[in-house]
Amino acid sequence: MKNNIIAELVEVSKYYGTGTGRMVALDCVDLSLAKGEAVVLVGPSGSGKSTLLHLLGCIDKQDKGRVIIDGVDTSAKSLEELASLRLDKIGFVFQSFNLIPVLTAYENVEIPLLFKGLGNSFVKDRVNEVLDSVGLYDRKHHYPRQMSGGQQQRVAIARAIVGNPSLILADEPTANLDSRTGGDILDLLLHLNKNEERSVFVASHDSVVLERIKKVVRILDGKISID
Amino acid sequence: MNIIKIATISLRNLLRNSRRTLITVLVSAAGFAALAILAGYMDFSFYGLRELTVCKGFTAGGGTGHIQVFHSESLKKEELFPMQYGVEDNEKIRADIESIDEVSFTMPRIEFNGLISNGDKSISFLGLGVDPEKEAELIQYWNSLEKMGGKKKMSDTAYRKLEKTGSFGVLLGQQMAKALNAEAGSNLMLMSTTVDGAVNVVDVTVAGVIRGAMKSIDRHYLVAPLETAMSLLQTDKVSKIVVVLKRTEDTAVVSRLIEENIHGQDDQPMFSVIPWEELAAYYYSVRDVYNIIFSFTGIIVVAIVFLSCTNTMLMATMERVKEIGTLKAIGVSNAWVSLMFLFEGFFIGLLSVAGGLVFKYVFSVVINNSGFKMPPPPGMSSSYLLKIFSAVEFLPWIALLIVFSTTLSGLLTLLKIRKISIVDSLTHV
Ligand SMILES: Nc1ncnc2c1ncn2[C@@H]1O[C@H](COP(=O)(O)OP(=O)(O)OP(=O)(O)O)[C@@H](O)[C@H]1O
Ligand SMILES: [Mg+2]
Repeated sequence: MKNNIIAELVEVSKYYGTGTGRMVALDCVDLSLAKGEAVVLVGPSGSGKSTLLHLLGCIDKQDKGRVIIDGVDTSAKSLEELASLRLDKIGFVFQSFNLIPVLTAYENVEIPLLFKGLGNSFVKDRVNEVLDSVGLYDRKHHYPRQMSGGQQQRVAIARAIVGNPSLILADEPTANLDSRTGGDILDLLLHLNKNEERSVFVASHDSVVLERIKKVVRILDGKISID
Repeated sequence: MNIIKIATISLRNLLRNSRRTLITVLVSAAGFAALAILAGYMDFSFYGLRELTVCKGFTAGGGTGHIQVFHSESLKKEELFPMQYGVEDNEKIRADIESIDEVSFTMPRIEFNGLISNGDKSISFLGLGVDPEKEAELIQYWNSLEKMGGKKKMSDTAYRKLEKTGSFGVLLGQQMAKALNAEAGSNLMLMSTTVDGAVNVVDVTVAGVIRGAMKSIDRHYLVAPLETAMSLLQTDKVSKIVVVLKRTEDTAVVSRLIEENIHGQDDQPMFSVIPWEELAAYYYSVRDVYNIIFSFTGIIVVAIVFLSCTNTMLMATMERVKEIGTLKAIGVSNAWVSLMFLFEGFFIGLLSVAGGLVFKYVFSVVINNSGFKMPPPPGMSSSYLLKIFSAVEFLPWIALLIVFSTTLSGLLTLLKIRKISIVDSLTHV
């Protein structure tokens, strides 16, 4: 059972501020994500969705509890160790795409592979393959500013999956897109992970997302409930 | 491979805010140019000082030539009587020295002193017995130096006049001539002690008036033909042999050759061979002063370049907080991220050196062709033509200094990048 779990939060709490101004962003959250699973996290603005995603993505530290990624407890890991864990296991998709503006689509997708000590030809093939799978092979020499929002988000998805991570975290990936494009993006995300043991965890309150992902985790004032 | 990719990213980032990059590059290029020009000026000054020491000198001893050969005792002991430790048989020794390829010519000199009188008034003098033709040749050596490029050549007419006046002519320092109320054609008397300790007097005719490089020397300065000095002292020895080379750069080599090959009887090392720089203590003091000035200027310039570049780098990190956060979120380490900035600093340095070289070149050409004159240095009697030399051997070091400081400011972004919180930067707009 245990090795079927890609990510797990155990009694995780996160606070902002101190003293009387202290604010509970996550309150003793227990959550586990199975390999290959697609889950949507819904909740009103300010409920703690992003905070939860940041902890799962190991880019922020919880104040209480444990975060376990692929069987590894991250609590005691150094910043460097966490960075290499992210490089290997986690892909991020952001609301505002976060592409590097001075790099072409190809170069943006290439980034995660550059720091893994892989061979040139392998990197080239893999980047082209992934760009092809998001339907942007013919746009690979375009810069972000030369692409539409939907295209940019496809590049971002390609960048997130290029390193073959087991967990994709997407924080409001469709919020900056119209509903049709948003739907396409989500279809793409789900399609790319259907046959692979890759979990997708999406924070969203977009109906486009809710229509497509069956498993829903609700969050309100830092407390979660699972449907 | 990754390094090249990162370097490309850095180049593109530099073009992103091209105006800011340009300003930073201009500041650093100006810094490079300032140091390069200063080095060029120092190079010119050292060169000028060196050649002026060789050809004209700053003491009553006249131009030092490149090497001087003395009787070895003369530098160790006080003479009991004039010319006790003079060099005998100077023609033969000179012929030996002149057989060395690098040597242009040699000449004998006698240093003597005594009183000079016009009948009413006597003042003490420091005299130099010379071969006027050879001394004129030394001046021609100066005039042949292309690097000084002066339109105003040094004149050898005084020595020519001395030669024409014959064996009992003298040249007087300007101040001495004034003090004795003498002019060309005046008859004066020289009084001195002979090698036997007797007092001797010779009558001389003023052949001309000369100006020493230093004002203080003029009042006691007197030049006479070798024969005059010899007959006044009743000797056929000379005080020293002055060796003039074809190129100053050969001084050390030729000094060694002379030391090895010129001996007294029984192969005893009878001669001291002294290169010009040991005869010119002030050369080292001037060098030291210049080196201190250069070091200070260097520190200031490097500080300005470093601060200006660091400021640019910090602005760039602030502008790119979101990108930096994204890279860090992906799992790129702080070190790799700051390597991008390190490259930016490095490229700014390279561009600055390129720009600085252009500045320096243009400035040098303008100065070197403008005929701009520097006022006489303290204690000196004439102004000189300003030149900026190319200082090629200094430029790589200055370039290194500039590139190092701009690169360092790129590296320092690591401190900033480490502190950027990924979560905060992702919410940054
Ligand atoms: N850096 C911070 N400092 C203080 N409070 C914060 C900080 N980040 C988040 N919070 C607070 O924590 C709570 C949860 O924030 P979070 O960003 O996780 O909400 P969210 O569900 O993602 O909201 P949204 O849908 O608007 O993105 C909010 O009340 C927010 O004000
Ligand atoms: Mg959010």
